[in-house]
Amino acid sequence: MFLYPIFDTLVEWDYATLAPRPGLAKAWHYPDPRTLVLTLQENVRFHDGTPFDAEAVKFNLERNLRDPRSNIRTELASVESVAVTGPLEVTLKLKEPDTVLVLILSDRAGMMASPKALQELGERHDRSPVGTGPMRFVDWSDGEKVVLTRNEHYWKPNRPLVDGIEFRIITDSATRLRSVISGQADVAYHLDGRQIPLIERSRQLQLVTGPTIYCYQLYLNMSRGPLQDVRVRQALNFAIDREAFVKATMAGAGEPAYMNLPRSHWAYDEEVAKLYPYDPDRARALLKEAGFSNGVELDMRGYSDQGSVQRQEFLLEQFAQVGIRGRFRTGTIPEMSATYFGPEKGGDFLLSAFTGRPDPSQTYALMYLEDAYFNAGRVPPPPGFLEALLRSRSTTDIEERRQALSVVQRIVMENALVVPLAFRNEVSAASARVENMRSNLLGKPKFEDGSLQDT
Amino acid sequence: MSATTLLPLQQDSIVVRFGRWLRRDIRGALSLAFLLLLIVVALLAPWIAPYSPTEQDYANMLAEPSARHWLGTDDLGRDVFSRLIHGTASSLYAAFLAVGVAVLVGVPVGLVAGFMGGWVDLAISRCIDTLLSFPAIVLAVAVTGAMGIGLTTAMLAVGLVFSPQLARLVRARTLVVRQELYVDAARCFGASLPRLLLKHVLPNAIQPVLVQATLLLAVALLAEASLSFLGLGVQPPDVSWGMMIARGYMYMEIAPAQMYVPGLAILLTAIAFNTLGESLRVALDPTLRGR
Amino acid sequence: MLTRKKLGMIASRLLQALPIAVLATFVVYSLMQLIPGDIAVTLAGENASDERIAEIRELYGLNQPFLVQYGSWLWNAVQGDLGVSLLTREPVAETIARTYPTTLLIVAYAIVLSVVIGVPLGILAASRPGSLLDSGIMSIASLGVTVPNFWFGMILALWLALGLNLFPATGFASPGDGLGTALWYATLPALALCTNGIAEVSRQLRSSLVEIQSSQFVRTLHAKGLSPASILWKHGLKNVGVNLLTVISLLFNKTLAATVVVEAVFAIPGIGSAIVNAVLQGDFPVVQGAVLAMVATVIVVNLVTDVLYTVLDPRIEQA
Repeated sequence: MFLYPIFDTLVEWDYATLAPRPGLAKAWHYPDPRTLVLTLQENVRFHDGTPFDAEAVKFNLERNLRDPRSNIRTELASVESVAVTGPLEVTLKLKEPDTVLVLILSDRAGMMASPKALQELGERHDRSPVGTGPMRFVDWSDGEKVVLTRNEHYWKPNRPLVDGIEFRIITDSATRLRSVISGQADVAYHLDGRQIPLIERSRQLQLVTGPTIYCYQLYLNMSRGPLQDVRVRQALNFAIDREAFVKATMAGAGEPAYMNLPRSHWAYDEEVAKLYPYDPDRARALLKEAGFSNGVELDMRGYSDQGSVQRQEFLLEQFAQVGIRGRFRTGTIPEMSATYFGPEKGGDFLLSAFTGRPDPSQTYALMYLEDAYFNAGRVPPPPGFLEALLRSRSTTDIEERRQALSVVQRIVMENALVVPLAFRNEVSAASARVENMRSNLLGKPKFEDGSLQDT
Repeated sequence: MSATTLLPLQQDSIVVRFGRWLRRDIRGALSLAFLLLLIVVALLAPWIAPYSPTEQDYANMLAEPSARHWLGTDDLGRDVFSRLIHGTASSLYAAFLAVGVAVLVGVPVGLVAGFMGGWVDLAISRCIDTLLSFPAIVLAVAVTGAMGIGLTTAMLAVGLVFSPQLARLVRARTLVVRQELYVDAARCFGASLPRLLLKHVLPNAIQPVLVQATLLLAVALLAEASLSFLGLGVQPPDVSWGMMIARGYMYMEIAPAQMYVPGLAILLTAIAFNTLGESLRVALDPTLRGR
Repeated sequence: MLTRKKLGMIASRLLQALPIAVLATFVVYSLMQLIPGDIAVTLAGENASDERIAEIRELYGLNQPFLVQYGSWLWNAVQGDLGVSLLTREPVAETIARTYPTTLLIVAYAIVLSVVIGVPLGILAASRPGSLLDSGIMSIASLGVTVPNFWFGMILALWLALGLNLFPATGFASPGDGLGTALWYATLPALALCTNGIAEVSRQLRSSLVEIQSSQFVRTLHAKGLSPASILWKHGLKNVGVNLLTVISLLFNKTLAATVVVEAVFAIPGIGSAIVNAVLQGDFPVVQGAVLAMVATVIVVNLVTDVLYTVLDPRIEQA
């Protein structure tokens, strides 16, 4: 989150719907499905004074394509080559049609760093980044704070509106809120729903909230045990009262999730969302049909922080009502993720979350393709899935894309490849002098239009 | 000295001494009674608790104490009183497990070191010194993180961390006993080493171990709370007092009772273990009697 | 002052500390070998291919035998290189330098509070052994041993910070930002931590004072007509000082351990939080380095105490 003010991305996204909009690339078009041409903003300079031009874009993209340390590589997998076709024009040749690339360039893959700094600093650039963004990097102390100062020569007019930003890294949400209440900080991001009454109670604070695509969900391993049977997976989906989940574990600051996208997303499909109402009787019947009339025992995995434990306790009680029994084995996030998704393949499901990607087809590819990391059982996707996914990537027409993605979503949910639980609302608290702060659907805070009132 | 004539007399005297001690040491007696009560509560939890510890009521979350819910309800609308009762079992299990491991590891190591002497003693003593220079909880946190989270692994780790304390105690005690003639005499008759340790040395070391173990129970209880607070302890659907504090911390400003109740339970129990330990020390150590 | 005998004892103490230090590094290093599963898989992260995992194993030397890994780690550690964090790539030595002063400040503060509060309580209790005052103080002391520090910290935060707004509820200021501010921030954590110390100090003091009072030496002084207060003051405390030193050294270890949880309550980025976070994220170089730093400090503090003890204690000369 500290990266957004330092680095501009080639493409930006709309706060409310995540539709792409111009960034460092002021325009783009596909002359044919395998070619993407980006036209760049003029008169942009990096913080170190070097000009931002087509060469710089080529340098960055090629670095992202090659860098063995990064996982960005996979996001840019469809890019075959990058060519400079004008001082401010870059042409990307693609291996296969990929219209998603535009939105991919709105995230890490599209962040532009100074080639000069990259060459001079090498790996040390990670710790003193140089971009074109509204804020310049000043200082970084691990696990503590990141200090940024105003970029006086920023290319967007009348921005930035603040003189600098100091990010304090406070892992505990209660502490984050207290730091705003006590006036040590102006804004606290990523608070919990249960803290909303505290924010509202305090007169010097304002609540900034809005939906995000961050989704709590069960990742299923469909290659082992009872979850090989689609009826058991459907039973899991019917067994959960998602409204109660949002109320009890998120203090209402969320949206029940019936598929991988929230209601406000451009590719949301109302019909798919109706597939799994809360219906414990259906769940019991499905389990019986699958041959588990005495209930079924599952090996459940999760994380050990209290927030996760609370969600686990909620689910255990809901599952117990329909005859799904078991205990959660909890561990640290890296340990559990590695044992669940890695080669060991321990557990039937993992209660975790998906942070979301700018384009839904990325999400579906990451979760359900046969070789996808988040497809714990490495089970091939149901018939029709791959075709629909590719179709969603081969057109720029939003209506056609929506239809293709609806097909994908229907296949995913009918086969119950996942148990979505709820989307988290961003809950931020800002002191009274903060103006114009907005949340966005991706849930990655940008403080672009925000400003501070002099007091 | 004939064992047959001494034995019944000794047994009698233990019972008599115990009764006399209870009457004289009110605080010790009260602590013992409280702890016995807790054990009963822990064993009979499902029958005593008014509600199931996992039964959730989303219409009634974080409720104030009332006639229906004596200590209110928690963040998922569960009865706090029932959870406290069910948590007793986990917390006591944790404390006894850790101290049990400490005794099982520490006592034999101490016996061997003290009795063998020489380079064995030297090596073991160095290891004990090393482990004692680790801040206990830090080592337990690291071990639990490494071995995998869970109440049992966490308390095994705590037990291992405690064991050098007992080993040092037993070693010192054994050294004293070894000097005494009758062990040497037994040795001359060719008694085997384990037999020697069990019959002659261990009984002499048992009293200080008993005292120290009782005191350690209080420390172990606090360690469970600490580790559960850090998210390294019990796993759902189980509940322990430490975990209840951790959850209460999340709702500290909204519902402070969530945090007070399990904390007080830990405090009272730890006081009981501690008081009992101190009483035992006085009762078992002849030089302290009468103070 | 320093006779040859004392110097000899100090030298042997130093020699004893050395194997302990080496053993400690071994314990710290082997800890991380307990981790179930393959650390390389964790390190490789999402979307990692098998080749990538092999690459990582090579890169971090994880395919080497255990003793070789330990040897090279120890060799680097001796030269001050404790490796880099797997997550942030920050050198572990820098992590320690950044977080440890905050922790040490709180620990020192807590020990000072323990002594400042514990000593008067101990003297008060010892002045009338067996009285109501005495048993009252000793009851409070036993409360101090049994109260969960982090829970007490929460209560302090709730009452004194969030309720009365006397102190900051959370966070810290590093000693570099001005000692006054740093101390202001450290007050609640130090108060939460000092309960144990107060108890230990006052108990120890009381029992050694009572012992001295009943000793032949003091009885003689008493017979000479000196007032009990002045006897206590002149002859009691002097002898007791040495015992107190041992208590403080033990206290240091205990308090250092307790900060781990208290830092979590107050969200203090000290070395305890660093360890807990590293444990939770599987960042083992940080765990190793930070635990090692703590153990090293404890060993040094013990050593210094031992040396001071040897220098100060008159009985050693007589023996």
